[in-house]
Amino acid sequence: MHRRMLLILLAAALLAVPMAADAQKPIKVGMPMPLSGPPALFGDPAAKGAQMFVEEINAKGGVLGRKLELITRDSKGDANEAVRQARELILKDNVDFLVGTLTSAEGPAVSVVAKENKIVFIAPIPKTDQLTAPDKLHPYVFRISANTTMEGRSAAEIVAKWPVTKVATISFDYAYGQDVTKAFVEHLKKVKPSVEIVDQQWPKLGEQDYNPFINAQMAKKPEAIFSSIWGGFFVTYSKQAKALGMFDAVKYNFIGVGEAGSPETTKSMGKDYPVGIWGNSYDAFYWGETPAHKDYVARLSKYLKDEYPSSWAIQGYTGMQFLVEAIKKANSTDSDKVSKALLGLTIETPIGPQTIREKDHQANRGQLYGKTVLDPKYPFPIMKPVTYVDPTKFMD
Amino acid sequence: MPDPSFVFAQSVSGLTAAMFLFLIASGLSLIFGVLRVLNFAHGTFYMLGAYSAYQFVQWIGVSGGMFWVAALGAAGVIALLGGVVERLLFRHLYGKEELYQLLFTYALVLILSDAARMIWGTQQKSVSRPPELTGAFSLFGATIPHYNLFILLLGPAIALSVWFVLQRTRVGRFIRAAALDRETLGALGVNVDALYTWVFVIASFLGGLGGALISPMRATTPGMDTEIIVEAFVVVVIGGLGSFWGTFLGALIYGQVLSFGILFFPRFSIFAVFALMAGVLIVRPWGLLGRPLK
Repeated sequence: MHRRMLLILLAAALLAVPMAADAQKPIKVGMPMPLSGPPALFGDPAAKGAQMFVEEINAKGGVLGRKLELITRDSKGDANEAVRQARELILKDNVDFLVGTLTSAEGPAVSVVAKENKIVFIAPIPKTDQLTAPDKLHPYVFRISANTTMEGRSAAEIVAKWPVTKVATISFDYAYGQDVTKAFVEHLKKVKPSVEIVDQQWPKLGEQDYNPFINAQMAKKPEAIFSSIWGGFFVTYSKQAKALGMFDAVKYNFIGVGEAGSPETTKSMGKDYPVGIWGNSYDAFYWGETPAHKDYVARLSKYLKDEYPSSWAIQGYTGMQFLVEAIKKANSTDSDKVSKALLGLTIETPIGPQTIREKDHQANRGQLYGKTVLDPKYPFPIMKPVTYVDPTKFMD
Repeated sequence: MPDPSFVFAQSVSGLTAAMFLFLIASGLSLIFGVLRVLNFAHGTFYMLGAYSAYQFVQWIGVSGGMFWVAALGAAGVIALLGGVVERLLFRHLYGKEELYQLLFTYALVLILSDAARMIWGTQQKSVSRPPELTGAFSLFGATIPHYNLFILLLGPAIALSVWFVLQRTRVGRFIRAAALDRETLGALGVNVDALYTWVFVIASFLGGLGGALISPMRATTPGMDTEIIVEAFVVVVIGGLGSFWGTFLGALIYGQVLSFGILFFPRFSIFAVFALMAGVLIVRPWGLLGRPLK
């Protein structure tokens, strides 16, 4: 009898140990993100922004009394690799949530994995409309970046105010380039019907030699140009366009979306940047709109040990922030509860309040736009004045 | 009918692209022609050339002729790296199965590009054009940047000098002989090992120089190595693997097809290039100026 009691007690103790440990177990978040190859330009700082948020929240005691653990994996900017990493994160690392992916190929692919496994997936960067299109939407996918409709329309709002009617476009021939250009053209024609699209160039994704495209476009004599050539590719494109006198020919009536105005891009080009064009960016350390933003930039600057910190870190940061706020609101780490908590959730981010819409799981994430100028305070051009274009009016 | 000045501008930009491709592809072709190794890592040498040029420019700037010092310095560093890689690693590949060669050179791509990432990070790097060549001039209504003109002149100059070395000098004769029959050449008392190293050094120099000279026209980013190697392969396949003038011709054709392709099939110009390669492979599998392998 005695022995039996002891055994039962022992068994109970053994069972209780993992249960007690469970409360201490960290909440695991898996992040498939490109950390090598050209997309790593943004993937790497975005992952660091997420990590900074995690460290800050853990220093304050974590969420629901548990620590947060971020497991980052290199998705290489490749949809298949991102899917493989996401599966492994779920099956082997037992992550509770997914926050990540960058390209418009990766996002929708990982969304399918999230749906299968019923795990909340927050996409902080992919812009393709298809990610949250009605036929692809499911309860577990959310996007906190701008989408192609919002970005294209924001640019159209700006170009509509220019004294031009002959407009040309140049974009990479894949999902993001096509979708954002379509949104731009349709919205521009709507707000300014006198506009004529005189030329459209479609180099392949990652094109290195833009000379033939620029020549062909200049031959059509546009008065303004819309480009969605992004990141390091914009550096290549604009260097070649500048050498051919393209920016002078259109009198700097040029708008580069795809973050052509981000500090990363202007910094890497310095005085070679086609100063005077319009660009956009997710963030800019010099924006300093609110005390919260200033404080965020100061913390980020310290964290990245960079005087002019990345504009992409904010995407990883707010992605994690949305997740954590939803966990708090749901008071649970159950994906079904957290996904419900995310619907219509408004949070206070370093760039201001952001809301995830209930109908399409899309945050009202606008971007900063501005004309680039040389400012003696910085060794590279900045957007000035820089304005946050709120897309809420034209999201539908 | 398109505007003649536009046609002219298009052919010039095609030619400029061709000269760069030739710089890269000639090294690839040289290594294959003599050493019989398909060096996948050649594109990585090109990328490292661009990064080294960026590094030199960080130290010495681009003005006062320093750009040229940086470009030659970068090419020199890559030549040296090529020599070391050949001596220590490539040496063991000669005469091995193609599969081993491919696996090895591919591993080298991964190792070297990771090393580049550790040194220079993932952010794009940009090099300014040398101030003496920042301008542009107008010819037949087309704008031609001075730097592009320089590249247009440099390409043929390099082609002729390499040709001269190969055809008219003693070393060139040995190199050609080594391509045909390595054993006999060795039996005749020529130090074939040293010769191979030199070929590799020259090829790496050309690759590194290509990367350094392209840095003012493009962003230097991780991944630029694998992009260029595909293009360089297309060029050498069209021209004939191992054939020097074939590579030149292949590059010219590639540049023009790409340039004019966008006129006729705006969204399929890259397809035109691959269609051309497929056509060449069907009709003349050894390339336009290559020799059929026995």
